[in-house]
Amino acid sequence: MIQVRDLTKHYSHHGRRVAALELVSLRIDAGSIFGIIGRSGAGKSTLIRCLNLLERPDSGEVRIGDDALTAYSERQLQQRRQRIGMVFQHFNLLRSRTVAANVRFPLELAGELDAAQMDARVDELLALVGLQDHQHKRPAQLSGGQKQRVGIARALANHPDVLLCDEATSALDPETTDSILALLADINRQLRLTIVLITHDMRVIRQLCDEVAVLDHGRVVEQGRVIDVLLQPQHAVTQSLLAETGFGQGALQGQWRERISTPVLKLTFVGEPALQPVLDKVGRETGLRVNLLAGTLSEIKATPFGQLLAGVVASDVAVSALPDIFAREGVRCEVL
Amino acid sequence: MTDFDWNLLLSMDWPEIGAATLDTLTMLGVSLLATVALGLPLGVLLYVTAPGQLRARPRLYAVLSFLVNVLRSLPFVILLIVLIPLTLLLVGTSIGVAGAIVPLVVGAVPFFGRLVENVLREVDRGVIEASQAMGARLPQIVLKVLLPEALPGLIGAATVTAVALVGYTAMSGVIGGGGLGDLAVRYGYQRFQTEVMVVTVALLLVLVQLLQSAGDRLVRRCRFD
Repeated sequence: MIQVRDLTKHYSHHGRRVAALELVSLRIDAGSIFGIIGRSGAGKSTLIRCLNLLERPDSGEVRIGDDALTAYSERQLQQRRQRIGMVFQHFNLLRSRTVAANVRFPLELAGELDAAQMDARVDELLALVGLQDHQHKRPAQLSGGQKQRVGIARALANHPDVLLCDEATSALDPETTDSILALLADINRQLRLTIVLITHDMRVIRQLCDEVAVLDHGRVVEQGRVIDVLLQPQHAVTQSLLAETGFGQGALQGQWRERISTPVLKLTFVGEPALQPVLDKVGRETGLRVNLLAGTLSEIKATPFGQLLAGVVASDVAVSALPDIFAREGVRCEVL
Repeated sequence: MTDFDWNLLLSMDWPEIGAATLDTLTMLGVSLLATVALGLPLGVLLYVTAPGQLRARPRLYAVLSFLVNVLRSLPFVILLIVLIPLTLLLVGTSIGVAGAIVPLVVGAVPFFGRLVENVLREVDRGVIEASQAMGARLPQIVLKVLLPEALPGLIGAATVTAVALVGYTAMSGVIGGGGLGDLAVRYGYQRFQTEVMVVTVALLLVLVQLLQSAGDRLVRRCRFD
């Protein structure tokens, strides 16, 4: 488990003190995938660099398992960092080394294996990320997705317990992003590895993460299970990040909301109910007839969900009774 | 050039020119090796101690940087003369090939060191950050990341330095340094044998060309794409 307590960091910028992080606290379960999302300048990058102490916070505590990293000396940190993998937006591979030699690099730094053992470990890692055929190439000869696979293999070399991903897919096209996210999900499952990632892209959170924290101006403004935060976003920043990806209720904030005089229901289906004809069933029982205004059907980390906005055209029961009726079918209903 | 007297070429003292060329090559080789051996650590030191760098020591950096600038701003001819006592102390003579090497090295080390510092600054910060994230210690970062990643630039810097050293070796002829420069001064300048001057200049030119193309070829071979 990773525990971050009251992390604070300031920069001085042209003589002014600017807060990069302000009393940030997080609890990240071992083996989970934890996403930190925010706009550029929100402090994500500083936060993830404080997790392996590449940047020293002004105050606050970072613990990984039983290791209180913030109390470590530089020497102890160097030792501990060998088991904290990190993957970067721009890959940061050594141009002078081949693919295999890049993956071998952290093994050389650790100096615990002999040459034959290192070679065997490199082969294992290249097989894991599917790059066996490219091991003699240099980074300059690889595509972005391949470079990131090298970056991931390198980060896993010394059997880390934590993998930090710094905008790992932001420099990749959508298709490659999907394949890298799938690889990370795979690694998380296979190796029971805790993954902490930062991103500005809600799709990454939706496809990969179990939990999410939303960062704004150096503060955590919202935090929880991805499914809860995505379906019931509380903070304006979360809502606007979601709206950008065409997700959820963004459509209703448009001007035409004023032209609809009837009550509007927001129906949220998660898991099994998303696959059932719930609206049809409730309609037969209560005479509810609706005008569908907006809808999403998608999945969050392999859990199907749907969200509908429906104007009530007619109903035999009071609109205020509908939430309970839908709740019996496992569907969350709010009257807007 | 119809009035060029080819007999002049034949009548020249070729064995002496050959010996002078060899002297120049010796001075160049020894001083280049010594310059790289001393200038590379100096450049690394400048790089890592600069403000905001891996082991920022702003005061140490300011002092080193000032010394480097002082040595670089002294005209080499003056350096040659100023350094005579030091040269005597170190090699026992201030003339000839041996006497020239000390001022050559002292003149070239700050030049090469500064070039090395600049080349290292071009190494991607991200790669250095990545190696820190993997737990690399400073010596590991220098030996396994900075120097290998900067290798093409470093070879380029050594080539530029070698070419500058060819010029310096010629200049050292003024104070009796030996080599082609010495020949040019003694025959070409003091005895008005222009043809000796022309031949030495031509040989220096060929030497510079060879050095530059060898350096370029090496850089091309070790580029990473």
